[in-house]
Amino acid sequence: MSYWRAAGLNYVNYSNIAAKVVRRVLKPELQANASKRDETHVKFTPWVKGKPSKPGQ
Amino acid sequence: MMMISKPTTMVVCLKGAAAGQQQNRNMATLKQISMRLKSVTNIQKITQSMKMVSAAKYARAERELRQARPYGEGVKAFYEKSGATEAVDDGNNNKLIVAITSDRGLCGAVHTNVAKTIRNELGAEAVESPQSKVFCVGDKSRALLQRLYAQNIAVVANEVGRKPPTFLDASKVANELIQLDFNSGKIVYNRFKTVVSYQTEEVPLLSAKTMLAAPKLQLYDSIDQGVMESYQEFTVAALLYYTMKESACSEQSSRMTAMDNASKNAAEMIGKLTLTFNRTRQAVITRELIEIISGAAALE
Repeated sequence: MSYWRAAGLNYVNYSNIAAKVVRRVLKPELQANASKRDETHVKFTPWVKGKPSKPGQ
Repeated sequence: MMMISKPTTMVVCLKGAAAGQQQNRNMATLKQISMRLKSVTNIQKITQSMKMVSAAKYARAERELRQARPYGEGVKAFYEKSGATEAVDDGNNNKLIVAITSDRGLCGAVHTNVAKTIRNELGAEAVESPQSKVFCVGDKSRALLQRLYAQNIAVVANEVGRKPPTFLDASKVANELIQLDFNSGKIVYNRFKTVVSYQTEEVPLLSAKTMLAAPKLQLYDSIDQGVMESYQEFTVAALLYYTMKESACSEQSSRMTAMDNASKNAAEMIGKLTLTFNRTRQAVITRELIEIISGAAALE
């Protein structure tokens, strides 16, 4: 078992963290472009029994 | 003299009243037509600028789609080569359907097609105890499915479609997805073909167990459970990224076509309305002239 999985991460989290770190150490001229890939706006609403429940519940 | 003139004035009065009424009505329609004309022109301006915007967005989406395609193709190739298709029956019959749409409308039938495919899939399934769960990406699929299949909806992701999807978006969706308990799943999305055509397709989402049980897995080297688990998690994110890109591209191209058609229709309507407007105006002028002339003739 890999160390990151032992820490409770899955592969997607792990590779995203790795990607974030790589983006952060890029040269400034490349970083401007790469930082655009670093944002996300998606919001989630779990539904229970056909009704939306509050996010984070 | 009086006896003769009285009926004549009466007739003139009546005629005048009737003409006034008619004239009033025509004046009103003239105004109405011009108002209508103005609003249609405004709508045409809006649809034209929306078309320009989506054309720019489409160009970008298509460029990005080309880079995103290997993600999807890689996973599809793995599914094909390893022969991992049938879900392993492990007593967990939960199915998951992911609807890839966006929050935005006015783009033809892209979202409706996805919703329709899912509706056919869910079909006559028991509404009360749903075995298939639906993961809605984008508000449009939620809006289209919630009336009949609200019980099936597990999670809704919104704020999709304003900006082009990033891998981070896809991985957030993937994280939510992995947490759901499902044995087999699929993603329903619109595959972009050309500017004017797209196709609603589905791609299977397999669990790690199914992948490990694939008949031709020995084609691949050094695979153990840990590797497969990681790879399965990655395939979910990669497939989502790929399908989101495909969907975004089809949506923009479809919006472009829809807005182009809307502009064309508006232009057609403007032509017709202008014709009616001019005809009505000419009719009003002609009637007024006739009235003046006949009035003058009556006075002579």
